[in-house]
Amino acid sequence: MPHEELLTEFERRRARALSMGGPDKLAKRKKVGILNARERIDGLLDVGSFVESGLFGISVMPGEGDNTPGDGKIVGFGKINGRDVAVVSNDFTVKGASSSLTNMKKIGHAKRVATQRGMPLVMFGESSGARMPDNMGARGMGTMLGNDPVQYVRYRETPWVSAVLGQCYGSSAWYACLSDFVVMRKGAVMAVASPPLASMAIGQTVDPEELGGTKLHAETTGLIDAVVDTDEEAIAAIKRFLDYLPSHANEAPPRKSTPDGSDEEGGALLAALPEGRTRVYDVRKILRSVLDRDSFMEIKPLYGKPAVIGLGRLDGRSVGVIANNPMGKAGALDVAACEKITRFVVTCDSFNVPLLLFVDTPGFVIGIEGERLKAPGKIMNFMTALQMASVPKLSVLMRKSYGQAYLNMGGGRNSDDIAAWPTAEVSFMDPAYAARVVAWANQDREELARIEADMRRESTAYDLAAIFGVQAVIKPQETRRYLKRMLEIHEMRLTRGVGQHHLRNWPTTF
Amino acid sequence: MARHVVAAEIAGTVFKLEVAAGASVLAGAVLIILESMKMEIPVEAPIAGKIAEVLVSEGQAIAEGQSLAVIEG
Repeated sequence: MPHEELLTEFERRRARALSMGGPDKLAKRKKVGILNARERIDGLLDVGSFVESGLFGISVMPGEGDNTPGDGKIVGFGKINGRDVAVVSNDFTVKGASSSLTNMKKIGHAKRVATQRGMPLVMFGESSGARMPDNMGARGMGTMLGNDPVQYVRYRETPWVSAVLGQCYGSSAWYACLSDFVVMRKGAVMAVASPPLASMAIGQTVDPEELGGTKLHAETTGLIDAVVDTDEEAIAAIKRFLDYLPSHANEAPPRKSTPDGSDEEGGALLAALPEGRTRVYDVRKILRSVLDRDSFMEIKPLYGKPAVIGLGRLDGRSVGVIANNPMGKAGALDVAACEKITRFVVTCDSFNVPLLLFVDTPGFVIGIEGERLKAPGKIMNFMTALQMASVPKLSVLMRKSYGQAYLNMGGGRNSDDIAAWPTAEVSFMDPAYAARVVAWANQDREELARIEADMRRESTAYDLAAIFGVQAVIKPQETRRYLKRMLEIHEMRLTRGVGQHHLRNWPTTF
Repeated sequence: MARHVVAAEIAGTVFKLEVAAGASVLAGAVLIILESMKMEIPVEAPIAGKIAEVLVSEGQAIAEGQSLAVIEG
């Protein structure tokens, strides 16, 4: 064979690069059911579509070349259901996938190409942080770390998604926090620094789960969007999330066909709505009935429970759903719910996904705890985001809509079209409280009851419709049909489904 | 046997006790109904088991996070 020596050497080098951290480390992972960096890429991408950038990259440190196949981060491009994406997969078996000069160039390349050519960026996080001793000292800081003034900036030109699939400190944690969607596997840890380092710094033992486990991030910080049991489930979640979004901000989301069996008659919806106004229900049952069958993907289900948010489809069109859930704290919006909604509005606005708001809230949670967490500021963040969002916004007033929350959920022309169910109640506060405010000096129970009844009578859907505060009063079971038609009416024809993206620079955590 | 403390997700008052100490409950059973923001909010059993203690009484004001009952299961 001509050039035999050259080609043999090529094969030897390629095999070495593909061997990652060696058979022992790879076998150990396999034994506990954790995929390796290349298996994760294989699981994500259409068969045969992966093209790698930087297969032959290694450490720049003298003598380290042979120990660092791929330099610990595998990068390239491939297709998910026929659409191209860029991928960064941390290879923990090589130096803990620590950040070094070569692998940071690889990440920079993937980001640059994804941004310039308009495709999502997928990151499989599992890394230990900056590589030691490479990054030590002035030389380390001056030549190794960073030197990229757009490394951690987010303009949301294309969707970014991250999976937290092991120990994520340093760049894996930073990129996860910058992403539009983060899925985390149970047992993984995301934190600023590793537990041993944290223990050294504060002089006490730190439990990894407490420092940055799934429970902390799913319920308390809200820094992740979904929790799964396996790497395979994480990959499935990433694919599903991206399926709702366009490849980049300058195109409309893909439209799908409507599955058979979507609840066109709204029968399940009527059954889920209690007749008593003080009774709670799970709004997810309502949403499932309105949206295309099996299309709802809830985001952050365990954080800020008074609100349910997620992506879904209606008539095959992608929609972002924001719903008050009476099941969670009576639907009274707390600080966590405000943050969760705000961040979601930013994502939907950035990627041209219309918003549907389902309203049944007695208002914002009031009290000392909320104020300590800056509730007024969070409520205004939410309000600002909604007012800046240029995607179509449609609200359905299901039951209660009170006070400032009436505006935050689309009332007062904050949505483009609003429909009310006959069960809707609109006012500044619950008449039971308002009667006492108005008649504060009057202790006569009958007089109080009369004032309250008057206030209740003037708070109906028809009262609001009479002054065009809502554009329609509809039967609950007509909601799906109404929203399907309204999404069509409000299609962004002048810009081919692309919004103005005023929210694209909003921070990812605030 | 694990002791599981059921806590209030929201501040309010105890509207109604649906179970007493000693009762056996399935996961998801309504233990207590709280009243807050003029809404009746059911507190459900997170696990199946036996009610070891009910720590509140009807009409009592409670804070967010306050322990309401203990289940052994």
